[in-house]
Amino acid sequence: MNQETTEESNEESYILVWLTGIVFLVAMAAIFLYVPTEQTEGPVQRIMYIHIPSAWLSFFAFFIVFICSILFLWKKEREWDIYAYASAEIGVIFCSLVLITGPIWAKPIWGTWWVWDARLTSTLILWLIYVAYLMLRAQTDAGSMRARYAAVLGIVGFLNIPFIHFSVLWWRTFHPQPKVISSEGFGKGMETSMLITLGISLCAFTLLYFLLMGQRVRQEKLKDEIDSLKREQLYSS
Amino acid sequence: MNLYLNQIAAIVWKDFVTELKTRELLSAMFIFALLVILIFIFSINLSIVKASEVGPGILWVAFLFAGTIGLNRSFMLEKENGCLMGLMLVPADRTTIYFGKLISNLIFLSIMELFILPLFMIFFNIDLLSHLGPLLVVVFLGTLGFCALGTLLSSLSANLKTREIMLPILLYPLLIPIIIGAVRMTGQVLDGTELADMMKWIGLTASFDIIYIGVSIMTIDHILEE
Repeated sequence: MNQETTEESNEESYILVWLTGIVFLVAMAAIFLYVPTEQTEGPVQRIMYIHIPSAWLSFFAFFIVFICSILFLWKKEREWDIYAYASAEIGVIFCSLVLITGPIWAKPIWGTWWVWDARLTSTLILWLIYVAYLMLRAQTDAGSMRARYAAVLGIVGFLNIPFIHFSVLWWRTFHPQPKVISSEGFGKGMETSMLITLGISLCAFTLLYFLLMGQRVRQEKLKDEIDSLKREQLYSS
Repeated sequence: MNLYLNQIAAIVWKDFVTELKTRELLSAMFIFALLVILIFIFSINLSIVKASEVGPGILWVAFLFAGTIGLNRSFMLEKENGCLMGLMLVPADRTTIYFGKLISNLIFLSIMELFILPLFMIFFNIDLLSHLGPLLVVVFLGTLGFCALGTLLSSLSANLKTREIMLPILLYPLLIPIIIGAVRMTGQVLDGTELADMMKWIGLTASFDIIYIGVSIMTIDHILEE
């Protein structure tokens, strides 16, 4: 990587940092100042504006892992492996956030930290799959083998999602739950101000994804560069 | 096509001969499955819970754990002494290795299950014989799904440093749909439901089996590559 491109990508990432920061500030203002408190659930409902965007972001990240894994197996370029890895890491972090904010929201509303609701269960399984993905990457040495194995797992894991969805949905119906997230879906019966806030928050989280992704990919590429420089040094001396 | 089938048969036959010589795997899987069932029986009170409700779950946990032993062995055995390299040097399609291993895993697991089922019947006092046909279909569908994905991932984990640890960690979350499906279907069969009345579960497990065999065919080349 030469000097020029480094500066250029630096400039781009600065713009993205500022943009993400501003949108996040707007989102925070909207969540805590603009949007009215929900009547029945009270202030705790505001966690929704973090919870849903995190869920969206993690699913999006896992989808990117899937796409990049296919592209890697097809093209065998290190680039796609880096993208898949970075995306999986971000996905796991935000999936953890979903699993943390979920119970915080559920406790005052449903009265329990956890119910074996279809959505909760499938998110937990998804988290486990991608934690295994990261563990697999940590267990193998850098190189073609790690990239190939991770790519296979990235594909197998994403294809599992529809199966998880249906099996958990049908499984749950055998255990009637006291309260389930409203079945008519989000968005319906929601105030416009709430939808706007949710929209801003979704934008902020999506921008954050691209910001983190860019940073992580750059970091990984620099790591590769350092490795190759070290090797050069080792062989030349 | 004939050659392809012959190559698969050769791999299956090789696994059989190895097992007949060493007699390590089947007995270990059987005893382990039995132990799992026993431990579960100690941990629940069969006089309170209904046996046909907890039975299927325990049965499938036993199959799953014992099956993992089999999967772990199937590629580890090849890894020792570099046999896997030999298999890969054979001028045959790499998918033959997958199918050979899939079939031998399936057969070993099925034999173990055939021994476990009568014991399950005795321990839980459930009449299996009157539902034997549907039960075998359900057990086959579940076992096929387990082996389809398990063979793929064991070929992958065999090359890792911590193979015995990583295989279950990689495999179990992905197997949850098939475990839920198999346990539900077994429970319904034992309750006397017809197979036609649980088509959604059969559809789910069957499509799981087909999709993962398909994915394995497409990706096995990338795993078995040196």
